[in-house]
Amino acid sequence: MSGSLLTPNLVGLCRSLTEILLGIVKAIFDALSLPGLGSWFMSPGVVVFFTYLIATLVMVMWAALVNLLSVMWVERKLYSRIQDRRGIMLGVPWPWSKKYKRGMTNLGWGFLQNIADGVKLLQKENITPASADKLLFHAAPAIIVSSTIMVFAVFPFSENFYYTKVALGVLFVLAALSLGPFAIILAGYSSNNKYTLIGGLRAAAMMLSYEIPLILCVVAVVLLSGTLDPFQMVAVQERPLLGTIVPSWNVFSPPQMLGFVIFFIALVAELERIPFDIPEADAELVEGWTTEYGGMRFGFLFGFKWLRAFAGAGLLVILYLGGWNGPVFATFSVLGYPIPILPQEFWFLLKTYLVVMVIIWISWSIPRVRADQVLKIGWNRLIPLALLTILGAAVFKTMGWF
Amino acid sequence: MFLVFSAVEIVGAILTVTSKKLVRAAFWLLITLITISGIYILLRAEFVALIQILVYAGAVPVLLLFGIMLTRKKMLEESETSEAK
Repeated sequence: MSGSLLTPNLVGLCRSLTEILLGIVKAIFDALSLPGLGSWFMSPGVVVFFTYLIATLVMVMWAALVNLLSVMWVERKLYSRIQDRRGIMLGVPWPWSKKYKRGMTNLGWGFLQNIADGVKLLQKENITPASADKLLFHAAPAIIVSSTIMVFAVFPFSENFYYTKVALGVLFVLAALSLGPFAIILAGYSSNNKYTLIGGLRAAAMMLSYEIPLILCVVAVVLLSGTLDPFQMVAVQERPLLGTIVPSWNVFSPPQMLGFVIFFIALVAELERIPFDIPEADAELVEGWTTEYGGMRFGFLFGFKWLRAFAGAGLLVILYLGGWNGPVFATFSVLGYPIPILPQEFWFLLKTYLVVMVIIWISWSIPRVRADQVLKIGWNRLIPLALLTILGAAVFKTMGWF
Repeated sequence: MFLVFSAVEIVGAILTVTSKKLVRAAFWLLITLITISGIYILLRAEFVALIQILVYAGAVPVLLLFGIMLTRKKMLEESETSEAK
């Protein structure tokens, strides 16, 4: 019930930007009396190529830089607060402020700390263990990074902020996320280290067994909304609930409420957060399957875990929490034109970051679950409950209750 | 595109069969399965392609590795000792 910031959409915006830029290039070549080269730059093929190049860059930068750094910052700040300390707070003040004379201050927000850590990791040496399986050792981070970036090819942030519109978007996201376990097992094996091998095996066993309840819950949502398209899924959740002003998000439906809880638990396990972080239990296995990686390769493996957390939380918001729609149907109406209180992107990011914060909150206040208990929870509790969710969704769908 | 995919797929399939280390064979199997899903996309069968990635590329090589690593311990030890040399 609120508008989107981007019109017409991301690719359309990038197209007009490309046309402006290429117009400037053409003007430069015309001034240099090279009109043939200038008009080549304005030919449709070149325009389309540069449009998609810029759109890809914008999406990757937005996902992998802006949101990755923000999620890391939120996590570090929040768990410091949970542990009753301030966390990262070194900051460089603006050059024109009075504090600048004293250089670095410890009263800042600490947002640049993550960038400093990234630069530090870039400077470090990339160590490859002598007895490692070189091909697989180098292939595993590439698979993890590319499969995580792949998610954002179809991931919608609002009605207009998306890269491509695919009819099977939710399935695409799940498929991209499911490539992770194999890369983890490759990384664990190829490092030729006992700890990484055990960590990789544990991670793969856990992620495989928790992917089943995750997908079963998605099946229940698909039964109810009748589509795999994230845009239509959000549109289905837009109508008001039983005549009230609250929208009918999937969480408010009784079977989906159970599904929401199961999906959330399975998501936390997929992301290897603390109640289920046996793959990298730092007391038992040094750093799990990432032990042997160094430098920026470790940075990628470590940082993209947060990006997967962000993507998973976004999927949760799309499936259960109404996507980019606000919680209340409230728009101002000025001269007949509805004016949204907040744009759609803002609602989506607000909900996604709330889910990420709940995940962080849980993971820093609950002890770790033992390895056999993790598998027991997955196979004995979550999968039957997820099947029950599907049954309930089917009953509700046939009776037309929700 | 079809030629590229099929070439990668045939090379991957041959390497799957011929490679000595089992984990490498599973890696080439993954590449083969992903290129098969690329061919499905070329044939405009997106649903089959995504299910191919989800089920075959995501789960089958891992299950295969589990089967190999947990049952035939002798072979794993052999491959690890040959690596140490």
